[in-house]
Amino acid sequence: MTAPTTTSAAQRYLADVEAELADLPPEERAELLDDLAMHLVAVEEEQDDRPLAARLGSSADYAAELRAAAGLPPRAAVSARPTRAWAAGARTRIAQIGQQRWARELRTFVPSLRPAWWVLRGYLVVLVPSLQGIDGTRDFPVPAPWGSHLVGVLAVLVGVTASVALGQRRLPRLIAALVLLGNAVLLTATWAALLDAPGRLSSYRFTAIVEPALRSPEAFPLTSVHGPVTNIFPYTAEGKPLTGVLLYDQDGRPLRSSLQQWWADGCRRVLAPPVAADGVAVPFSYPHAYQLEGAPVDPQAACLQAVAAPKVPLPSFAPAQPARPAQK
Amino acid sequence: MDASQLVKGLLDVAVLAVVRDEDGYGYDVVRRLRAAGLEDVGDASVYGTLRRLYQAGSLTSYVVPSDEGPHRKYYAINERGRSVLADGTKTWQQFADTVDRVLHLDRVVAA
Repeated sequence: MTAPTTTSAAQRYLADVEAELADLPPEERAELLDDLAMHLVAVEEEQDDRPLAARLGSSADYAAELRAAAGLPPRAAVSARPTRAWAAGARTRIAQIGQQRWARELRTFVPSLRPAWWVLRGYLVVLVPSLQGIDGTRDFPVPAPWGSHLVGVLAVLVGVTASVALGQRRLPRLIAALVLLGNAVLLTATWAALLDAPGRLSSYRFTAIVEPALRSPEAFPLTSVHGPVTNIFPYTAEGKPLTGVLLYDQDGRPLRSSLQQWWADGCRRVLAPPVAADGVAVPFSYPHAYQLEGAPVDPQAACLQAVAAPKVPLPSFAPAQPARPAQK
Repeated sequence: MDASQLVKGLLDVAVLAVVRDEDGYGYDVVRRLRAAGLEDVGDASVYGTLRRLYQAGSLTSYVVPSDEGPHRKYYAINERGRSVLADGTKTWQQFADTVDRVLHLDRVVAA
């Protein structure tokens, strides 16, 4: 009578061998294992204190020997293991596709793209980290780590060189796996950066719009954090829009805003400033009045002379109190 | 030369030979081979060989149920197996004779 512990040892050994034979067609494997189970129990019947693995060798060796003796093919590579009939069918189908002319050409073409990937990788490795954090400099297309495009250019050169060198080398398995992992992380980060691009672009507004405006005060004499100021709409405390308001700065200089050059309705307009009695135009009278001029940029545009004022959320004030006589 | 390699090639003939006179189950065959002097023969090799010979039609098999122990799958030689064994024996004999002559010649030259 076989002790339960040894039986479970046989079952375990059988399961290990079964795992080694996982690539065989199901019927063949089942038949082989069914026989093997009987055989293992017979082996166990022999009174022997040594464990099965010591008597029969490792399950992997056992399976390999079994295959060789039974005339079965050696264990296929893990990737090419037909565990199911449909998987085997699919593999055959894929192999057939692989034999076709376009597939062969693709197979020779795709590897030729590898150097391009190496270069791109060297660039992305500098660009993607540079995109993190808004430092007021544009990081695309030339990345500017620590706010310097020069550093960015040098870093990209180093990155591309290193990436290409890495790509050309045959690497040990472990290192190659790490590189593969790194590639995956880099591509994920790139994907994340792409998804984030719209939000990032609005963050770049300061960089992209305000900064050039600050740099060229002639074209954009008046700017706010939102970009160039092209018009000013004054209101009274009662919410009545004012026209023809003349604005001066703290030193008494006329306040000149930028001029609107692009109109959302696709029309062309030019500033039509009021003219003083001496015949001189007054360009600091607000809000600016524009008039249509020339053919619209968009031929379909229906151009109206009047430009609607922006809707503003006016504050409401308490009615003005009559001035109290000064107390003595 | 590694004896186990030589054994592997001859295992078909050897396995057929030990079941020629008496049917045997897997481990039985292993024991007979070991008892006959093939001590290094692998358990899995024998079992795989039995299976291959069975699939090739050189052996028939039958299961003997048992109340106490496990059921045993016995292998029996058939006509096809006997002719394979006869051919294998003849081939081995010729090969062994040739090798004998070569080894003998070698000894003569060396002497």
